[in-house]
Amino acid sequence: MYTPLSPSDLATLIDEADRAARRLHRKLALPAADLDDLRQDLLIDVICRLPGFDKRRGTIGAFAGIVLRNRSSRIAIQHHRQRRARGGTVLSLDAPVAGSGEPLGCLLAETDGLAAWHGQDRDTQADIQTREAVQSALARLPEADRRFCCALAHRSVTALAAEGFGSRSSLYRRLADLRHVLTAYGLGPCWDDLAAA
Amino acid sequence: MFMGKTPFITVRASRPLSEIEFCAWVAQAAPGDRLEYHRGYLVLDTYPLFSALDDKARGELARLAARAFWAAEQGLVHLVQARVGPDRFAYIAVARPKPKAAAVSLSALLLDAQAA
Repeated sequence: MYTPLSPSDLATLIDEADRAARRLHRKLALPAADLDDLRQDLLIDVICRLPGFDKRRGTIGAFAGIVLRNRSSRIAIQHHRQRRARGGTVLSLDAPVAGSGEPLGCLLAETDGLAAWHGQDRDTQADIQTREAVQSALARLPEADRRFCCALAHRSVTALAAEGFGSRSSLYRRLADLRHVLTAYGLGPCWDDLAAA
Repeated sequence: MFMGKTPFITVRASRPLSEIEFCAWVAQAAPGDRLEYHRGYLVLDTYPLFSALDDKARGELARLAARAFWAAEQGLVHLVQARVGPDRFAYIAVARPKPKAAAVSLSALLLDAQAA
């Protein structure tokens, strides 16, 4: 049964959510910046469950305590699961690194970033070199091949064939040829790697 | 005062080269570098009736020869031959300075393609 909230009830909810957030924050050893997020998550969960509050069965403080305990437990389980998946360490960019006052985000090199996590060993210099190689290779391509490359940036070979660029087989032949042309212009496998293989 | 000599690098592959390997060499070669991309008699080696190569190797050699000719047409290499014996030649690509071309922005091209 839904009961309208008085200002004092609301203050109780906020206090309970604050206490629960601080407790969970301390237990999980989270960065300071995560406290507000936790408090907000917990408070929203309590408010969403208010329609289930029945004042005949107990005080609103007791109701909030049970809801917050359950929600805290779920957050903790989820947090531990994520931490295990990442080798048992906290990966927040805001988390200070042991032995240094700086947060992790300020100390990470570009090669340690998300791109590197996904197997892309990129840095600014490599990006610039790739961009220059692409611009240089594009400049040497005939106009028709440039248009073909642009078309392929947004559409599949099947879509291009449907739009009248040619049959699928001729488009794939053209792609295979383009692969060699771009390699000769510096956008492809490295000779040293191929020779070593 | 003595002028220093540029140490040109000559590569002779220990196995038959593929088309993509040739292209990779072209991209990386400094002007004057040389690559022996085939040894034999190219016209006969790519001709089905006379070639001692199997179909796959002959096809790969034909593609390699066509790509070498393409690279020469694009001004990327010089193609020369050296006689190494009776009816036997070394086919050599000599890298040329890369032709200059004004850079073209990929983003501009993509925007133009979308606008069209």
